[in-house]
Amino acid sequence: MTLLVAIALVAIILLGAPLFAAIGASAMLGFGREGTDLSIVPIEFYGIAETSVLLAIPLFTFAGFLLSKGNAPRRLVRLSEAALGWLPGGLAIVSLAACALFTAFTGASGVTIIALGAVLFPALVASGYSDKFSLGLITTSGSLGLLFAPSLPLILYGIIAEVAIDDLFLAGIIPGTLMVVLLAVYSYWRNRGRTASKRRVSMAELKAAVVDARYELPLAPIVLGGIYSGFFAVSEAAAVTAVYVIGTEFLLRREISLRDLPEIVRESMILVGAIFMILGLSLASTSYMIDIEVPQRLFELVSRYVASEGGFLVGLLLFLLVVGAILDIFSAIVLVVPLIVPVAIEFGIHPVHLGIVFLAAMELGYMTPPVGLNLFISSYRFERDIAEVYSATLPFLLVLLVCVLLIAFLPQLSLFLLS
Amino acid sequence: MGRRIETALMSVLLLGIITLAFLQIVLRNVFSYSLIWADDLIRLAVLWLAVVGALAASREGRHIAIGIVPRYFPRAWHKPAALVASGFATVVSAMLAWQAFRFVADSYRFGDTVLGDLPAWAFQLVMPVGFALIAWQFLAGTVRTLRQRA
Repeated sequence: MTLLVAIALVAIILLGAPLFAAIGASAMLGFGREGTDLSIVPIEFYGIAETSVLLAIPLFTFAGFLLSKGNAPRRLVRLSEAALGWLPGGLAIVSLAACALFTAFTGASGVTIIALGAVLFPALVASGYSDKFSLGLITTSGSLGLLFAPSLPLILYGIIAEVAIDDLFLAGIIPGTLMVVLLAVYSYWRNRGRTASKRRVSMAELKAAVVDARYELPLAPIVLGGIYSGFFAVSEAAAVTAVYVIGTEFLLRREISLRDLPEIVRESMILVGAIFMILGLSLASTSYMIDIEVPQRLFELVSRYVASEGGFLVGLLLFLLVVGAILDIFSAIVLVVPLIVPVAIEFGIHPVHLGIVFLAAMELGYMTPPVGLNLFISSYRFERDIAEVYSATLPFLLVLLVCVLLIAFLPQLSLFLLS
Repeated sequence: MGRRIETALMSVLLLGIITLAFLQIVLRNVFSYSLIWADDLIRLAVLWLAVVGALAASREGRHIAIGIVPRYFPRAWHKPAALVASGFATVVSAMLAWQAFRFVADSYRFGDTVLGDLPAWAFQLVMPVGFALIAWQFLAGTVRTLRQRA
């Protein structure tokens, strides 16, 4: 019976039904069979109004969307180019760095490929990188920064796993940097010999780029400094960021008209509404799963086959790669994290480390056929056949796979900065 | 019309939340003072924002979905798949609306309060109303698909 229901729900999802409906249905079916009053589902959903830190999600999302509408993406590229363009393989590295920063702020929602790809892709091709390499690089970069604060997936993981978000922000720094560096090394290696113009550093251009980005630059110290120093709670940092971005974009820059504000609000809150809908209903489905002791049973099942922490990590990674290829990152967090955190803790894995591994593995999911989000956005944005995007992205996917393995088996990478 | 109301409501809610949250920070750090009701009000406004955002996502077909069939299957499959998918979403949203209504009715009956002594049901009402409107959007989508030529 349970199996039949599960199969029916999966089938209906594959037909294109919104995920929230399937989650809501499974919660109602589960509680219904137990004889629990079904008003438990809206009661759990109401939990959204009882979690203070959730405030950070709409605020950071809005700030990120607002930034991406103005000229901030162009300024960020200019600054990275002035600062890093002299390196061998310069423009590829510029793309990686700029995209990572931008994704951290816009919450890995696919905005990066649209906002920065438009600038970077033609620039890469014009300076001699092959079309295929450039397409793969941009597609990969679209989710690169999600281990850096204040990305939405990090915040959401913290909320669901009940881990301090500031710890996650610290833990993501080294693994996130590792991904950028390994991809940069690969980009350099693949283009060795025919690397485009090795330009020299121009102090004048660097200075001009810094001046040009004078309003955007303080964001990093405000957000990161504020949170890491403990001066702001995460939701306070989000509020300050939103006020700062509104102030600079509308009062100082005046690149966006106030008349566009409602549409930007709408655009960004659609994403927030979609995330909160699955979040709210998964609060209910999770509470059902905990009622029927799914985590305990999962642990018993797993420990029958796996004895060590290492063995568990291997199994977990395989599982996460499959999850990442079918579920988007937000759904994966709200559905999977509550079930695996207790199991992982039993195996001696630090929940902060687990979070970084989880998100790093999900990052691969953005690029894994058949449903990786970045592949679609890229195919749509650059008008390429989806199969062409698959093959262009594949080598980058392999590099990131190496990173994920390193992150999983070297917990110090994540935990070093915590102590 | 509905679209404009959503957009206006979301703008008011979001800007209100930002203003209030920022005001709290200033009060707390500069005047060592805080409005006791503000944090509760912000959290309720976030719930409202979430539901109205979800309604806007329904109107534009932007909910998170992993449709394999509409992407990879032959055209002939698309219409029946869309009918089943949106029909299912309609039914589930309607059931959620009904359960949410029962929840709010209980809250009304028990006289639950928020923000000191304001009636909680008035703030919770966004859930049944929002879910019902979401169901309505999916129903309209189902009817649109039904009328389409395959």
